[in-house]
Amino acid sequence: MSKTKVHMAVERPGPFNRNFFDSDEVITCIGSGSIGGKASGLAFIKDILVSRFGEHPIPGISVGIPRLVVLATDVFDRFIERNNLNKVALSGRSDDFIAHEFCRAELPAEIVGDLRSLISGTRTPLAVRSSSLLEDAMYEPFAGVYGTKMIPNNQHDIDTRFKRLIEAVKFVYASTYFKAARDYIVITGRNIEDEKMAVIIQEVAGNRYGDRFYPDIAGVARSHNFYSFGHAAPEDGVVDLALGLGKTIVDGGLVWSYSPAYPRANPPVSSARELMKVTQTDFWTINMGRPPEHDPVKETEYLIKASLTEAEYDGTLKQTASTYRPQSDRVVMGTGAEGPRVITFAPILIGNLLPLNDLLKDLLKICEEAVGSEVEIEFAVTIESRGSLTARFGFLQVRPMVVSHDQVELSPDEMIGDNVLAASEKVLGNGINKTIRDIVYVDPDKFNAKHTPQIAEELAQINKRMVEQGRPYLLIGFGRWGSSDPWLGTPVEWGQISGAGVIIEATLPDMNVELSQGSHFFHNITSFQICYFSVHYTGVYSIDWDWLKKQKELTRTEFVRHVTLEKTLTVKVDGRRRRGVILK
Amino acid sequence: MNQESFNPFSMAQLQFDHVADILDLDKAVRDLLRNPMREYAFNIPVRMDDGSVNIFRGFRVQHNDARGPCKGGIRFHPLETMDTVRALSMWMTWKCAVVDIPLGGGKGGVIADPHNLSAREQEQLCRGWVRQLARNIGPISDIPAPDVMTSAQHMLWMLDEYEAIHGGKMPGFITGKPVGMGGSLGRTEATGFGVIYTVREALKQLSIRPEDTVASVQGFGNVAQYAIRLYTQIGGTVICVSCWNQNDQTSYSFRKKEGIDLDALLDITDRFGEIDKAKAKELGYEILPGEAWIEQEVDIPLPAALENQISAETVVNINPRVRAIVEAANGPTTPDADKVIAERNIFLIPDFLANAGGVTCSYFEQVQSNMNYYWEKDEVLGKLDVKMTSAFIAVSELAQKRNLHMRDAAYVIAVGRVAQACRDRGWV
Repeated sequence: MSKTKVHMAVERPGPFNRNFFDSDEVITCIGSGSIGGKASGLAFIKDILVSRFGEHPIPGISVGIPRLVVLATDVFDRFIERNNLNKVALSGRSDDFIAHEFCRAELPAEIVGDLRSLISGTRTPLAVRSSSLLEDAMYEPFAGVYGTKMIPNNQHDIDTRFKRLIEAVKFVYASTYFKAARDYIVITGRNIEDEKMAVIIQEVAGNRYGDRFYPDIAGVARSHNFYSFGHAAPEDGVVDLALGLGKTIVDGGLVWSYSPAYPRANPPVSSARELMKVTQTDFWTINMGRPPEHDPVKETEYLIKASLTEAEYDGTLKQTASTYRPQSDRVVMGTGAEGPRVITFAPILIGNLLPLNDLLKDLLKICEEAVGSEVEIEFAVTIESRGSLTARFGFLQVRPMVVSHDQVELSPDEMIGDNVLAASEKVLGNGINKTIRDIVYVDPDKFNAKHTPQIAEELAQINKRMVEQGRPYLLIGFGRWGSSDPWLGTPVEWGQISGAGVIIEATLPDMNVELSQGSHFFHNITSFQICYFSVHYTGVYSIDWDWLKKQKELTRTEFVRHVTLEKTLTVKVDGRRRRGVILK
Repeated sequence: MNQESFNPFSMAQLQFDHVADILDLDKAVRDLLRNPMREYAFNIPVRMDDGSVNIFRGFRVQHNDARGPCKGGIRFHPLETMDTVRALSMWMTWKCAVVDIPLGGGKGGVIADPHNLSAREQEQLCRGWVRQLARNIGPISDIPAPDVMTSAQHMLWMLDEYEAIHGGKMPGFITGKPVGMGGSLGRTEATGFGVIYTVREALKQLSIRPEDTVASVQGFGNVAQYAIRLYTQIGGTVICVSCWNQNDQTSYSFRKKEGIDLDALLDITDRFGEIDKAKAKELGYEILPGEAWIEQEVDIPLPAALENQISAETVVNINPRVRAIVEAANGPTTPDADKVIAERNIFLIPDFLANAGGVTCSYFEQVQSNMNYYWEKDEVLGKLDVKMTSAFIAVSELAQKRNLHMRDAAYVIAVGRVAQACRDRGWV
């Protein structure tokens, strides 16, 4: 499949000045190396945003990039070299071990003063995130591959804030060598030793509500969508919105997903009651209250999940929620009535309290033009004044999307027949793949939801072998891939199935859940152009289990079977119609 | 310049008088600050390994403690004099003040050459020094530290003696202790790193990239070694270092035009910072006379040895390429050489600013020792960098604002702070 590669010409941010937070600078840099993919994206778009929204501001919304400092990759190099961390980094040991060793190491003496000055100048919560070199070199998003750490940065004592900051930086450095990242790099055909990490230290967009700090809305907007439903076309794009920090979206949690062309359309659910099941019930915030147990190697050390009751108390549901009326089985906009709250963002998307959707359409267009390809942007919206509603739109990231442009025509006739292994009309991806000769599948006769954690482990072992041998495979399993709830699917991390070239998620009578349609691993699936099939056991199209049973078994574990074929499968996906078929 | 005719205390007073004029200090303040508050001179009998008894002469000078307890090192040096100690104690007062740490200035010394003493004899010397001064120094009055030819081991012996006399554990009595025994992480690097923090800021001000600079270093002790380490880490190249040779009783410069290899040189260097001449030659270093370090075609000469090294005689040898002189040692430049440097418009980072990293980290060590709670190295060096950088910026801004030379600007800030503290206390 052909990939669209783009290059963003970036002007390097100026060197860090210790009075940064008293200046007008938005992006500044410590060190002289590369600033990595994410930071390049922001540096690239900064002036475009200023010229567009400085001259023609959107009423009620100010658009800007939250201030950030980038630690360039040469700082990472020096950190690794001076602490002799190469051996630990490439040891293949557990993530915790690597993180622990990195946290014990010392940052280069010539930059710690800058970090201390930085932390002295701000008391706002900070996001410490990766900005990888390979991400930049390959013009591909490595979303969710490396660690991000949020720190509250509200301690009275500068020493404590400084310590938390450097722990976070070291954690992000360590995450370069975590298992998920190592596997990912292998898949991309690169060498982990080529990877270098820049780190972004950025003010978190949001407001403080008691012990919680979060934005009213976090979101990801994409200018192209292989999940399109209803009237929406793939080119209309898609927006995912969540209350609180964007972690909910990155982790593949329940979010509000809509097409910018049809902001009023609900997701395809059968009833209002059903809508409650597919919307957010909790959200991530930064813990500004009692310090948690000190655990610098834990990514969520300073994060807490809060319920909608707490959001109601904070007053952040007014603009983001609707209310379910059980009497009429209807969801009504706003929080005026009593009843369970449903995060639909209707007051903004339907009630037009803020012209957010217009802004997003505008931004996607601007970014597409500037980048020269389909784009994905990340943002956070903070409502500043709830009287006459005004908001800050924090632009957090822009990156090119990897979209296949192969034209594939697939008629329904081709999807049925003896030569069909599986087919579906809910397929993510596009193009034709003739490289797969291995099939790894969960045995339907042995499957039981209570064993999904063990299944994840068994898959990880096989995946490791397949990754090492460079053999992409077809993966078939039941329920949602990557579900955090083991009763709803197999709770794998991406690294445990990262070698799959095509994925099928299927249902069974005992595992009859709403399928994820790839949402947990959306970034990975789109980046690697993996075809993702959702197959319902009651649907028109099914999986030929009998044929699978007859194939030559290479290995088997308690729940998983690995078969290999004499000739390769043919996988055809018509991205525009969302149809796909796997031919034997 | 003839070392014997040079009196560092006269030089220190001369510098002070000059600044007192700039600040227009009144007579009482001048009289108070021109001389130390207290001086101690005493004998230290030591029974030697051969059974004989040697009497060593020891000193401690407390120049001024208006801003806090006195702080300063102890030197073991065969050419030690009371005037040297006086001068150094005065410079300590200014040094603590210029980086704005709440300490006064002190200094101590013993006329002795540790090269000729066994470890046991050195221990007796340390303990004897403390016994003579135990009532006049301590964590709330005067805190010693290592200096020329004294080490963490010496500090530990002194601490042990002090605690034995006073009964109790008082790690805040002395600094420069070994890590794990009341010492601070980062203390070993502090002076050398502090020097380079100021170099880094100076280069920013001069719009020169560190990568484009070359340096020559006099001395190869702790300060020089860590200064070279950080300087090369930020991109600079050192092409020449010099050091004392005990056998030959002279110094040599070791030059490699493509840049010295610090780790390779450290492998052939003893604990006094003496590079093995023969092995250096094998490694491809040119062996030049000791004073050759100053003549090198470099951007930055960095004296990091003893005082009085850039004099009226030697200043003329400074290469035309030189952009900045960084005084890592105490008092390396004489006032007449200073004038030449100013006339040649060479940027100068004065000693008591450039090498204040040591005392700043000593202060951090004392704070940690008094709490008996110790920080991580990142934290120590982060604080050190901020202190040093802030001090440098304050001095250079004043220099620009009032059109002063860097040394004068640093003195104006330091002496001004001390004078104000004396006034605030009602002493003058």
